[in-house]
Amino acid sequence: MSTFSGLNTAYTGMVAARHGIDVAGQNITNISTTGYTRQRAVQQAAGSLAQVGPLTGQIKVGQGVSVTTIQRLGDTFLDAKVRSSTASSGYWGVRANALSTLQTSLHEPGDSGVSKQLSNVWAAWSDMGNKAGDPAAAAVLLQQSSALATQIADGYTAVDTQWNQLKTDTEGMVTELNDAATQVAALNGLIRSTLNAGGSANEYIDQRNNLTTTIATISGATVRNLPDGTAEVLLGGNALVSGDRSHAVEVTGTTQMVGAAGDPVKLNWVGRPDVPVSVDGGEIAGALSTLAGANASGSGGALAEAAADYNEFATFLADKINTVHRTGVIADGTAGHDFYAISATGPAALGLSVIPTDVKGIAFAAPGAGGNDGSIAAAVARIKSDKDSPDTKWSAFVTTIAIATKTGLQQSALADLSTKAAVGNQLANSAVDMDEEQMNLAMFQTAYNGAARVLTAVDEMLDTLINRTGLVGR
Amino acid sequence: MINRVTNQGLAVAAQRNLQLSLSTLSRLQETASSLKRISSPSDDPAGTADSIRVRSEQNAVAQFSRNISDGNSWMSVVDTALEKTGDILRKVRDLTVQGANDGALSPTQKEAIAVELESLRTELLTTANTKYLGRTVFAGNSDAGVAFNPDLSFTGTGSTVERRISETTSIRVDADGAATFGEGDQSAFALIDNIVSDLRAGVNLNARIGQIDDRVLTISGQRGAVGARQAQILNAQGANMSESVSLETQRAEIEDVDLGKAILDLKAQEVSYQAALSVTARALQPTLMDFLR
Repeated sequence: MSTFSGLNTAYTGMVAARHGIDVAGQNITNISTTGYTRQRAVQQAAGSLAQVGPLTGQIKVGQGVSVTTIQRLGDTFLDAKVRSSTASSGYWGVRANALSTLQTSLHEPGDSGVSKQLSNVWAAWSDMGNKAGDPAAAAVLLQQSSALATQIADGYTAVDTQWNQLKTDTEGMVTELNDAATQVAALNGLIRSTLNAGGSANEYIDQRNNLTTTIATISGATVRNLPDGTAEVLLGGNALVSGDRSHAVEVTGTTQMVGAAGDPVKLNWVGRPDVPVSVDGGEIAGALSTLAGANASGSGGALAEAAADYNEFATFLADKINTVHRTGVIADGTAGHDFYAISATGPAALGLSVIPTDVKGIAFAAPGAGGNDGSIAAAVARIKSDKDSPDTKWSAFVTTIAIATKTGLQQSALADLSTKAAVGNQLANSAVDMDEEQMNLAMFQTAYNGAARVLTAVDEMLDTLINRTGLVGR
Repeated sequence: MINRVTNQGLAVAAQRNLQLSLSTLSRLQETASSLKRISSPSDDPAGTADSIRVRSEQNAVAQFSRNISDGNSWMSVVDTALEKTGDILRKVRDLTVQGANDGALSPTQKEAIAVELESLRTELLTTANTKYLGRTVFAGNSDAGVAFNPDLSFTGTGSTVERRISETTSIRVDADGAATFGEGDQSAFALIDNIVSDLRAGVNLNARIGQIDDRVLTISGQRGAVGARQAQILNAQGANMSESVSLETQRAEIEDVDLGKAILDLKAQEVSYQAALSVTARALQPTLMDFLR
C-alpha cells in the first residue's frame, strides 16, 4: 500500500463522476434528437494491485474506479421489429394511397359519375323514341352519347396519369434508397475505424439506424449486424450494403401502362440487368405491385386492372347499343349501321366515338314501320333494364374498387398501428428520460463531492504525517 | 423494459393521440357539412352499389314520368279530334236527314245543303289529319305529314305509337286512322261525297242515314278505347309519383346522414379533442427538474 494510493483512488472517483456528468449532459441535450439512443458510462471497480515481494499477506483494497466504456442502450431486436413493421406499413400505405386516388377519380356515388351519364344517355334514347325524327332530340342524344364516351376516356386517362405518376414516384424512392445505402456504407467505414481505434461510435450508430429504418420503409430490406461493428443491409437476399461498399439498384421495364403486362416494371441491380431484385415489403414493393400489368384472373396491378375494366366497359357499352341499333333503319332506309365506333388502335376506352353526326344517321325506326317510328330508340333505352346491362357492369366495377380500397385502407391502418407499437417499444427502451437523467446528474454530482472529500481526507492525513510528526518534546 | 416511460415516448404518444382525435374531428366535420354518409365508395361498398342502383332507378322513373306526360298529351289530342269528328258526323247526319225530305226541298235548298256538306267533309279531313308536335296522330309512325291523302288513301304503316309508362308496361297512345275513318271508297269522306252526289242527282238519301250511323258508332267505340287507355295512363302517373317518392326515401336512407346525430357526434368529438389538448399540455410539462433545487 503506497502512501499516495488513496489520492489516486479519489482521483479516479472524480474522473468517473465527471464522465457520468458528461454522459448525462449528452443524454439531456439530445432528449429530442430523432433516433438518439441513450448512453451510460459503464464503471468498473479497479481491483487491488497484485501482491508480489516480501510484504505479501497484507489486506489490500482496490485502486478506485474506471470508466470502461460509454454503452449505447439500444436493443437490436426492437430495432429490427421497427424496421419490419415500417416495411409493412410502407407497402400497404402506398397501395392504399393509390387505391384512394383511383376511387376518387370515379366520382361515385353522385351526379358527376359515369352512372349518372349513363342514365342521361338512356333518357336521351327514350326521348328520341318519343320524338322520333326530331332533330333537337337527336342533337341531345348525340351530345349525351359523346359526353359518355368522353367521360369514359377521362376515367381511363386519369388511371393512366396516376400510373405514370406512381412510376415517377417509384424512381424517386429508388434514388432515395441508393442515397441512403451510400450513406450507410460510409457510416459503416467510419464506425469500423472508430471502434478499431478504441473510440465510441454511438452517435454514428444512431445515424445509421435512422438510415436503415428509412431503407426498410422504402424497400423492406433486412439488416444484419456484424461483429466488426458494420451492418450488412440485405435486399432480397443480396447485399445492398456490405461493409463500406453499397450496390445501387434501378427501376427497369415499361414506361407505359399499356406495356405493363408484357414488360413489367421491376427492380434490378445496376450493371447486372439479369439479376432481378425481389422486394417483398416496403414502399417500392407496394408501388411495383400497383404498377403490375392486368391479367386474366383480374388479380393484377390495381391501376392496370382498372384500365382494363374501363376498356371492357367501353367495348361492352358499344356492343350492347350497336346490336340493337343495327336492327333499325336510318334516314336512307338501310339497316345494319353501328352507333358507337371503337378505334382499332389504342385502348378501347380512348377510342370510343359516336358515328352519326345528325338525325339522319340514327336508326331509331324499325324497318318498314314508318319514318316516325321510334321503337328501336325505345329498345336501346330498354337496354338499361337488361339483367346484364352497362349499368350493372359499371356498378360492379365501382364496387370492386371500393372493396379493394376499403381493404387496402384497413390493412394500412393495421400496419400503421403495429408500426406505432413497435416505435413506441423502441422509444420506451432507448429514448432519454429526463427524470432518470436528473437522478444520474444528482448522483454523479454527489459522487464527485464524495471523491473530493476523500482527497481532502488523504491530504489532511499526509499533512499530519509530514508537518506534525516528529515534533514531540520540542 | 416495456414499462419504461420516457419524455420522448410520452410526446410521441400524445402527438399520435391528438392526431387521431383531430382526424376523427375532420371526418365528422366533413360528414356534418356535406350530410353525406358515403363520400367515397370505400366508405360503404355495398351502400355504393345500392346508391348507384337507386339513382339509376330514379332516373328511369323520371323518364317514365316524361313518357307519361307525352303519352297523355297524345291521348288528349286524339280524344279531342275524335270528339270533333263525332260532332261533324252528327251535323252530317242532321243535314242528310234534312236532305232526305225529297218533296219539301227545292233544288236550291238541296244545293245549299250539298255545299254545307262539302265544307263539313273538308273539316272532317282536316280533323283526320290532326297533328301533335308535327306528327299526325291517326297515321301511326308514318312520316307522310298527313293521315289521309287528297285521294283518300291512308298513309299509316300499321305500326303503332307506344310510350313506355313503367318498367313492364308500354301503352299505345295513337288511334288507328283506318279503323276510325275508313279507307278510300269505304271512308267517311267518300260517304259524304256520295251523299253530296246523291243529293245533286236527286237520289233519295234514306239509305245513307244508316251508313252514317254505323260510322258514328265506330267513332264512339274508338273514343271509348282511347278513354280507357288514357285512364290507364293517369293511373300510371299516380303510381309513378309514389314510386319516385319511395325511391327518394331509399336514396336518402342509403346516402344521407341524420343531421341530429351528425351534429351530436361532431360536438362530442370537439369536446374530447379539447380535453385531449388540455390534458396533454398538463402531462407533458413536469419533470424532476422542476422540483430539484
